[in-house]
Amino acid sequence: MQLRGNAMSLQLKNIKKNFKGITVIDGVTLSVESGETLVLFGPSGAGKTVLLRLIAGVIEPDMGEIWINGQIMAGVEPEERGIGMAFQNFALFPHMDAAQNIAAPLTARRQSRTDVASTVEKIAKLLKIEHVLHHKPKELSNGQKQRTSLARALSAEPSVLLLDDPLRNVDAKLRFEMRLELPRLLKDQNATVIYVTQDYKEAMAMGRRIAVMGNHGIQQVGTPADIYLRPANLEIARLFGDPVINLVNVRPESSPSGITVHISGMPITLNGFEVAIGRDCILGLRPESLQFVPENTTDAFAVDIETESPLNEKIVTLAITLSGEEIMVSRPANISGAASGRAWLSIMPSNALLFDKVTGNLLKPNLMDVSA
Amino acid sequence: MTGSMLHLSGLEKFYGSIDHGVQAVKNFNMIVEKGEIIALLGSSGCGKTSTLRMIAGFESVSRGKILISGREVQNLPPVKRNVAMAFEGYSLYPTVNVGENIAFALKASRLTGSEVAARVNSVSQMLEISDILDRFPSSISGGQQQRASLARALVRQADLHLLDEPMGQLEPQLRTLLRGRIKHYIKENGLTAILVTHDQTEANALADKIAVMEAGVLQQYASPSEIKNRPANLFTGTFVGEPPMNVFPAHVSIENANLRFHLHDGLELSYNESDFAQPVRERMLEYRDVVIGVRPYAVHRAPMGAAGMIVANQWLGDQSHIAASFAGKTIVLVEHDRSAGAEGELIFLKIQPSDLHVFDPASGQALSHGQELA
Repeated sequence: MQLRGNAMSLQLKNIKKNFKGITVIDGVTLSVESGETLVLFGPSGAGKTVLLRLIAGVIEPDMGEIWINGQIMAGVEPEERGIGMAFQNFALFPHMDAAQNIAAPLTARRQSRTDVASTVEKIAKLLKIEHVLHHKPKELSNGQKQRTSLARALSAEPSVLLLDDPLRNVDAKLRFEMRLELPRLLKDQNATVIYVTQDYKEAMAMGRRIAVMGNHGIQQVGTPADIYLRPANLEIARLFGDPVINLVNVRPESSPSGITVHISGMPITLNGFEVAIGRDCILGLRPESLQFVPENTTDAFAVDIETESPLNEKIVTLAITLSGEEIMVSRPANISGAASGRAWLSIMPSNALLFDKVTGNLLKPNLMDVSA
Repeated sequence: MTGSMLHLSGLEKFYGSIDHGVQAVKNFNMIVEKGEIIALLGSSGCGKTSTLRMIAGFESVSRGKILISGREVQNLPPVKRNVAMAFEGYSLYPTVNVGENIAFALKASRLTGSEVAARVNSVSQMLEISDILDRFPSSISGGQQQRASLARALVRQADLHLLDEPMGQLEPQLRTLLRGRIKHYIKENGLTAILVTHDQTEANALADKIAVMEAGVLQQYASPSEIKNRPANLFTGTFVGEPPMNVFPAHVSIENANLRFHLHDGLELSYNESDFAQPVRERMLEYRDVVIGVRPYAVHRAPMGAAGMIVANQWLGDQSHIAASFAGKTIVLVEHDRSAGAEGELIFLKIQPSDLHVFDPASGQALSHGQELA
């Protein structure tokens, strides 16, 4: 991909990094536009934090190039890169109170005292720490330390902001509020942001684009809808969604009604998947895309209900197919389901995801056939 | 209550002396029946872990009594209480493998070798650790250790199963799967379990009853649906529920047979007086200044009504969270589909009188829930 003038404020080109002979970053290429918040999502150990440290310049890549605002960063010291960071281990100055910590980048630039005070106040209010501004780090809870660290990163108004799981230690209620408010705050800052999280809901809420890391590389980059509705592979499908996506072994075959797979020994039509005929596949079914239907509905399969549990305002049913696979079904609490015994589930074919069992990659339906 | 499996009566915990120490648990009373799953839920420092540790016998009781199966146990050591435990730091035996660790819990039982093996296999399969039974604790991950420790507790017969953050170390995908399985296992084996968690999703999914704790005080002890539909106070109302309950200060008046909640910025919610039962109306008018609460799932869009401007619209795959500025604050609504509406758009909101929770702003106590008095 070509550099599109100044629009790309951060570019990574084929970055590789080994530690003691072990590959931790294996050829990452990624572009972030100026003013964009890109979410970097992945399980622990995927290499997210290492990638941030490479961008920050704390460590150097073994191979590849990092470009910031049109300049290559090789040999550029961390403090000269124009990057703001809020990392997991807070790193606050222990002898300064929260306000002084937040103001540190501003006082270093010799801004006037009233300007500094008003900036600190504004950011502290947005992050809901204005009541602890005069507390020293040791008097702050972990969540407050984390927000102080975030506030300090924001106050510097860097052109690139690296946020490593900034809501990790914040309690559930505040985390939810911050999830709603942070995107706006970051947009107002007009910074280019890489936002690391392990929480898929946070990832979907925070970013117009999400880069999913796994196996030391970027596995998929896309909008929340791309990733949730068309995950590139099984691993990504499993990382997004609560409850986790159901996976059933199937082998699509040709039949008079089109292409079918069998669940609980019952035929389900999946048109457009000629490519998968006779191949061992895994059918991915999102728990919320399954519906309880009367017996003998076409394209439905039988299950035996094990338990029901509430999940927020939903009901999650754990059921077992007649061939012994676990299936989770979620539905809004105000919709009736099946509490026990034998029940039938229908699949919306457009919601079914088919993966190649060997490679784990998503198989794309032949759209011509779907419309036919 | 001699019939109950656990009875906590006036339980208190002070760290340091009773006169000058820090009180972690205050006058805690609770009854657990055989076969129930109870979740102690709260944020860190609320006293939930101290309570569990007192029941287990790891922590001395400052005041009050603990009865397990009718027997007073607060002065007995842990091993004499007939409880099975999965605690952080209550670790696996390092010198034997995972399978032997789990089987060890059945040593005192009169099961034959093959019966023991069958039980170990079934609990290991349930917790997805069948493949590491011959590994030693030091060579497995934290999440595997946690599941091995849980297996060792669940495989036993005991009066009580005490589980401290039993899934805290597990990755989220595994957690969602195991929640359903563990509940099924506990119910099928007729166990009585008390778990400590800070995760309300886990508490709601697993527990028959949730004990919500804050500042050492039991705030509410009820079923998940009771806590959702009839929160005892503002703390419980806003702590349990995801996303959290929306709350707004309001002034109540009745004009022309309309009951009106006057909110900030001149906004108001107006209902027919008859939408509220007489005692509920009277209670509200007695207070006049109240806090109203409405769950995000109960805020609906309408063709007209109180207006709010969308400030965020976040789709999470199976639901959308919409935040709108409303009466000087943010109101959140949840829709089950991918919702329409961009930032800056106006929407009109409707809240059914049956979905309104009303609280006393001074004490935080609930006054009414929909048609009923609290």
